[in-house]
Amino acid sequence: MALTAELRRSFYEKMALSRAFDDAMIALYWEGKLPIFSFGAGPLPGELHCSNGAEPVGAGVCGALGPDDMLTADHRPHHVAVCRGVDLDRMSAELLGKKTGLSQGKGGHMHIYDPAVNFASSGIIAEGMAPAAGMALARRLQKRPGVALAFIGEGAANQGAFHETLNIVGVMKLPFIVVVQDNEWGVSTSKAESTAVERNSDRAAGYGMAGEFVATNDPDDIYLAAERAVARARNGEGGTILELKTARLAGHFMGDQQGYIPEQMKQADPIPLYRAKLIRDGVLSEAEADAMQSAATERMAKAMQFAKDSPYPDAAEAFDHVFAGGSGAFDQHKAEARA
Amino acid sequence: MSTPVVIPADLWDEDDKTGSIVLWLYADGASVKQGDLIAEVLVEKVTLELESPATGTLRIQVEPEVVVNKGDTVAVIE
Amino acid sequence: MSRILTMSRAGREALDWEMERRDDIFCLGEDIYKFGGIFGTMDGFGAKYGPERVISTPISETGFIGMAAGAAMAGMHPVIDLAYIDFIGVCYNVLLNTASKTHYMSGGAVKVPMTLLIGTGGGYNNAAQHSQCLHATVAHIPGAKVVYPSNAHDAKGMLHTALRDENFVIFLTHKGTAGVGWMGTPIKTTLSEVPDEPYTVPFGQVKVYREGSDVTITGLGMSVHESLKAADELAKEGISAEVVDLRSLVPLDRDGIFASVAKTGRLVVTDEDYLSYGVSGEVIASVVERDPTILKKPPIRVTTPDIPIPFARPMEQSILPLAGRIADAARKQMA
Repeated sequence: MALTAELRRSFYEKMALSRAFDDAMIALYWEGKLPIFSFGAGPLPGELHCSNGAEPVGAGVCGALGPDDMLTADHRPHHVAVCRGVDLDRMSAELLGKKTGLSQGKGGHMHIYDPAVNFASSGIIAEGMAPAAGMALARRLQKRPGVALAFIGEGAANQGAFHETLNIVGVMKLPFIVVVQDNEWGVSTSKAESTAVERNSDRAAGYGMAGEFVATNDPDDIYLAAERAVARARNGEGGTILELKTARLAGHFMGDQQGYIPEQMKQADPIPLYRAKLIRDGVLSEAEADAMQSAATERMAKAMQFAKDSPYPDAAEAFDHVFAGGSGAFDQHKAEARA
Repeated sequence: MSTPVVIPADLWDEDDKTGSIVLWLYADGASVKQGDLIAEVLVEKVTLELESPATGTLRIQVEPEVVVNKGDTVAVIE
Repeated sequence: MSRILTMSRAGREALDWEMERRDDIFCLGEDIYKFGGIFGTMDGFGAKYGPERVISTPISETGFIGMAAGAAMAGMHPVIDLAYIDFIGVCYNVLLNTASKTHYMSGGAVKVPMTLLIGTGGGYNNAAQHSQCLHATVAHIPGAKVVYPSNAHDAKGMLHTALRDENFVIFLTHKGTAGVGWMGTPIKTTLSEVPDEPYTVPFGQVKVYREGSDVTITGLGMSVHESLKAADELAKEGISAEVVDLRSLVPLDRDGIFASVAKTGRLVVTDEDYLSYGVSGEVIASVVERDPTILKKPPIRVTTPDIPIPFARPMEQSILPLAGRIADAARKQMA
């Protein structure tokens, strides 16, 4: 699909919605956690890794995908989930641990699953790599169309799973794309300190696959590179390492003071930059951009209201879903535990 | 003579943020020396250290979990 | 001189003292140089000891923990920060097949002295991949020592012991007991008066945290503190509970466990790890294999059930071995 004005407007809308999601969660996060910070306190407990700055990755890559494609994301999944079309109400409810959440309160923010749009995530670094390759294999065996994508950070490219998976993908020429989101930091460790080559996309040669690098954190450029990778995968030409320079504007997780980031490494916010670009290109007017911004905020407010109004799961529901279809022995154990 | 233990103005950067004592490393009435680490102060998620400004007996005035601001006196050293 | 310290601060003091005096010790782990480790185990060490001895690694656990084993074989004593025990999945082979077994497989010719610091446990809504205890999963490996202090005094003394040990030591700390600034105000019973001077606490000895005569409650890590809370409640009802901190899983002080149960005749075993195939069964075996007749009642286990840790607060709080469940079990023992 060509990079039409309509598509570009949709990128802006999705980026605005993703940002609205994170901003709403950040605002809620501190509730109940001051003056003494405690992870487990407040209406939004646990760790929270926000996607502020990485929205172009979600918008650009997801813009190049179809409904049969399958995605795995990592501990920072919001931007990919929002842009993929994961149910916003139920994702919001999941972050608050509510019964109406995508996982009925079992998963929380690092474990977002929405099979309706083929979306899954894992909080273990690089854990999405091999399962995504397996999804690509399943699609091939099922003789269904569909490319599988693993969204990881640049730090995850130094896990063993990265190497093992890509070699298999290269050997089998699977329809697989690893989206390496290079936000320059793995917690406090910079890419230069952790990675022997400047670009992970250069590693593609070692796996007999294509490598693409996009330096701009601009959804237009990301979309075009993703579209090329998807086309190769669909044509049986195998996998791609798609490395995208992006930003991490809200720290590794909430409360990260980021004192380790030097002044010259401060990152730009991609959303105002893209807005200015679309206005410059005549794709959007100021008023239209403002309207999209307001619509995103309102949509998110509605999702947050849904989440807040939803009930918590009952304590006893902790025992549900350990096994699919139940199991005789475990059901007895469960009943005992409930009693 | 007694010396107040004051939350220093430069203990954390942002003036609008408040902190809270997490832990006194000495009991009320304990002997402390100038420069001893006597308390941990938490500001959001960052733990900061408070040193004793004098040698003497610690008299705690502010218990943990109470909001403190820069310039607040939280104890005295007698 | 002594001060009241958190476990985190006390442990750091031991590591600092040993590092100052020994060139064979160096630190390895993610985010340790600038950040001091996710749980502050090496806070300030980067500035003090420099990047050659405090090495921030890529996110490559198989790589850097395997390297630690190799460095240990070559005469160093690496200290590794692995942050969350949930991450052992990506490096388990090194633990299982190299660090723990090389001394044996070499007929004693090769030593692997290394200390692996790991945070465990939940209770703060971090869901199924960042809240596990998994201490049984590592304690099951022959050739790995596993210790699990629950207070600042033991944290310092046991870390000195670990750093002077010639073996692979897995040093566990429940995140909720460490006293890092992210888990709220430190639990009072984790704090101790800690001497300035170095001292060792030997492995393989239980600690009787609180003496009692009616029922023995064993715990480790966080469950010690929940057991102490339960003991306070029980005392109001006239039940005298003895709280025994296992604090060392390998070696396990089976004599110490038996001695307490021989005195009380009743046993409640608490453990935040999963119920089945774990430490809780091992504690009971330590008693009944020796003499089941000392028990007035069948023992009761209060643990996390065999389910992944759920995210939402009402579910997670209901499945953890908290004081209420422990006290109920003790009351059943007395009924």
